[in-house]
Amino acid sequence: MMKTVAKPVSFLLIFCLLSMGFALGKAQAAMVGTETVLNATKTHQTDRIRLNAFLDRPKVQAVLEAQGISPEEARARIACLTDSEVAELAATVDGLPAGGSAVGALIGAGVLVFIVLLITDILGFTHVFPFVYHHPR
Amino acid sequence: MSSRSCIITPGNFRATRRQGASFLSVTILFILLAGCGGVQLTQIQKEMAGIPSRAELKNVPLYPQEADQCGAASLAMVLHWSGIPATPESLVPEVYSPSLKGSLQPAIIGAARRSGRVAYHIYGTEGLLREVGGGHPVIVLLNLGLSWHPKWHYAVVTGYDLSENFVVVHSGKIKPEYFPFRVFENTWARSNRWGLLVLRPADLPVTADEKSYLAAVLGLEKARQWREAVNGYQTALRKWPGSLTALMGLGNSLYALGDLPQAEKAFRDAAHLYPTSGPAFNNLAQVLWKEGRREEALAAAEKAVALGGPLSATFQKTLEEIQSGNP
Repeated sequence: MMKTVAKPVSFLLIFCLLSMGFALGKAQAAMVGTETVLNATKTHQTDRIRLNAFLDRPKVQAVLEAQGISPEEARARIACLTDSEVAELAATVDGLPAGGSAVGALIGAGVLVFIVLLITDILGFTHVFPFVYHHPR
Repeated sequence: MSSRSCIITPGNFRATRRQGASFLSVTILFILLAGCGGVQLTQIQKEMAGIPSRAELKNVPLYPQEADQCGAASLAMVLHWSGIPATPESLVPEVYSPSLKGSLQPAIIGAARRSGRVAYHIYGTEGLLREVGGGHPVIVLLNLGLSWHPKWHYAVVTGYDLSENFVVVHSGKIKPEYFPFRVFENTWARSNRWGLLVLRPADLPVTADEKSYLAAVLGLEKARQWREAVNGYQTALRKWPGSLTALMGLGNSLYALGDLPQAEKAFRDAAHLYPTSGPAFNNLAQVLWKEGRREEALAAAEKAVALGGPLSATFQKTLEEIQSGNP
């Protein structure tokens, strides 16, 4: 059942995305953007980045909105990024946690963490506690 | 304990997730590493010629941070240094992600651009020292805790002293903090030494690399800061005369500002220096057409079409538009 539906739906999706791309190209009149020129030395990679960024912008925006940012502000934040920055962000944003930290639950014992961080602070590996004195100045 | 904890960052996040695994092994590991120390400064000094032995920037303000607002506070400090009267409160709406209780790096970069400043990445200790030594404060991302128990924190490096072994950091407190170099290195290494310059577009990074700098100026175009983008491309052209990307970016930004004669000049320069660049002729044609110089526009568009290449469909379209109608 899923399979029979999937094919026409994906064709429709591809058609929509392609026509959106066409519309975008049209809207930019016929100027070649600086980004295209900048990346012209590695065309294949650039095409992929551009395509990814095109597909990822709504996804990244949704993630930002889920972080408590308004849709307009989320759109504004993404608009300021270059295509490769958006692609990079989208690649990492998948890893963002849904909720509380699993690491915290795993460790649990706060006292143990406190002692470990205290020792690492004294050794100079970390700088968590202001009362650990680091420099005689 | 967590009042200064700040952000989760996409770049570092993966590392955080992988942690957790074995607490015991980590504990043993740090005990083993305890004897190793960090990077030796004397060694760095030997390797890096031309770095001043000390630096202290005087014009970077200190903004004590509100809880979780180290991103906004750090950006406000460097923006203020660069001549923009920003405050942490004014930047919170642009950088903060409420559910993360912190600010993502791309939000900091975007907010710098929205203020008309070039956001330029630096990586590594040498880059940091060269920039601070050259008079540029650097926003750094630190993990003050451990990889499996992170305590992410943005701060601004405003000085260092290689003979006394310390780094001066504006870290959200009312006074500057003096980090022993080893502590700074240990906490900065956990973000893969992520650092960011926020500069006026007329001010070139000491460590500027052509392509990275042009990508940073392109960010100003993305933020629709055309005037500042023009300044940035002009700065790039002083350093790298005849850079095709810089000339094209200059022309595109001037075109966006509606300054057709200057845009035309930039594209003419590009077309003259790069007679095989289709985009230069295409954009020149577009500008000439807007200026009402149809014959010249047609000639440039035909030249672009003749050159062809991966953008030939765009060139063809320019030509057809000029042939068929009014600007």
